[in-house]
Amino acid sequence: MWSEITKKLQETVQNIMPQVEAVIGWERGFNEIRIKPVVIKKEGDISKLVWNPFCVQNLSGYLVKSPAVIPREGRRVAICVKGCDSRSVTALIQEGFLKRDQIFIIGIPCSGTVDWRKVMKRLERSSVIHRAEIKDGRLMVEHAEGVEEIPLREILLRRCLRCVYPNPTVSDVVIGETVSPHIEKEDLYKDVEAFERKSLDERRKFWAETLSRCIRCYACRNACPLCICQDWCIAERRDPKWVTQKPTLKDILLFHGIHALHLAGRCTECGECERVCPMEIPVMFIKEKLNETTLRLFSYEAGIDSNLVPPLLTFNPHETGI
Amino acid sequence: MEEREKTKNNTEMRILGFLCNWCSYGGADTAGVSRLKQPTDLRIIRIPCTGRMDPLFAFKALISGADGVLVSGCHPKDCHYSVGNLYARRRFEVLKDFLPFLGIESDRFHYTWVSASEGQRWQEVVTEFSRRIHELGRNPGFDMNTNLVNSEAR
Ligand code: SF4
Ligand code: SF4
Ligand code: FES
Repeated sequence: MWSEITKKLQETVQNIMPQVEAVIGWERGFNEIRIKPVVIKKEGDISKLVWNPFCVQNLSGYLVKSPAVIPREGRRVAICVKGCDSRSVTALIQEGFLKRDQIFIIGIPCSGTVDWRKVMKRLERSSVIHRAEIKDGRLMVEHAEGVEEIPLREILLRRCLRCVYPNPTVSDVVIGETVSPHIEKEDLYKDVEAFERKSLDERRKFWAETLSRCIRCYACRNACPLCICQDWCIAERRDPKWVTQKPTLKDILLFHGIHALHLAGRCTECGECERVCPMEIPVMFIKEKLNETTLRLFSYEAGIDSNLVPPLLTFNPHETGI
Repeated sequence: MEEREKTKNNTEMRILGFLCNWCSYGGADTAGVSRLKQPTDLRIIRIPCTGRMDPLFAFKALISGADGVLVSGCHPKDCHYSVGNLYARRRFEVLKDFLPFLGIESDRFHYTWVSASEGQRWQEVVTEFSRRIHELGRNPGFDMNTNLVNSEAR
């Protein structure tokens, strides 16, 4: 199934190659479960492109954050997107970082991507993977110590298990069949609600403990396609000075407050921040809360309608009770 | 004098007030000039407009252990820059809803509108907010001095 979609993807790219400057997609990494981003600029490289549940990266950041692939006047850049990634693209268009006619969107419906860390934990001592194959909802891994079969559901990323937009919301071409989401929309924030049933003390304790693991590598910020300040990020600038380099809980919390509040009403829940965290901190959970808030207060979901302005970048004089 | 005594007995709370230069700052002044009695826990920071109020100002204060943060600006439609407070109120609502998720009482943050002539109203706002914070008690915040790498080093 994945090889078929890969083949179709390569054919599609072959056809559009003359119209576009480059194609941003995925290619195999150092083993079958580690996929990496690739920018295809010449026809000979098209065969590198792949699509399968290991294609975890949200590539939309490569359209805006350096080293961004920016098309020349009148040309376009093609990008492969899953459902969640397509929302990032829409959000970037909404906020004026990108023009719709600069990009060609290759949409791929996605039934969930794999958390390689969850796979590695199942393999215990073995770390060398010879072969991996996904069939009928199960992953089969041949590794140095034998063969392991794992139901796919058990190794999906958290973001995928709670995804309600698995099909691209915007695209120029769609490859593969429409898929249905893992959860109902009304269950989207049930984790947030459950957490809010705990006492304030428990919540404070949870974050103090969880965030104390943070090494402030800023990978979460760097991976976020909507965290676009880069060198101007106030977490690193010394003027104004917000965060210090001291390894204290205060500085960590402040950094996460900055990321979360700057993403309020903008985050599309693509889960990249959480996926890249080397300390396995549920970074997206903080943003889920803010999204639950902006949905309730402003009936707004980020990255769905390119004509809407994110709620905190605008106002409504007639709003009452606010 | 009687007021002074009272504050001495109850420990003073650390409350930050961010007041818009064009209205609430004047309102606080009006209250002072009219010699209206006010609690003394509030430390005022003047801002050019509530639109200048980054929710992170309040966030940083509260995680650092401030007991309360009060923001006050011009009434909606009276903002000196027309719409600063309309942007601001959305941000404040979001912040208020966010704080408890991290374990901070949302009542520690409050925003309101007071014009330069409303000295009386200012007195009520400060008195009520200070009372509320006294009721909540000290903000345990987060243990800010924890140096996570080497707690002896500092
Ligand atoms: S990626 Fe993880 S460890 Fe790195 S700064 Fe973000 S939360 Fe902290
Ligand atoms: S904050 Fe995290 S989940 Fe939200 S858009 Fe950024 S990377 Fe994606
Ligand atoms: S000038 Fe007072 S709130 Fe804008």
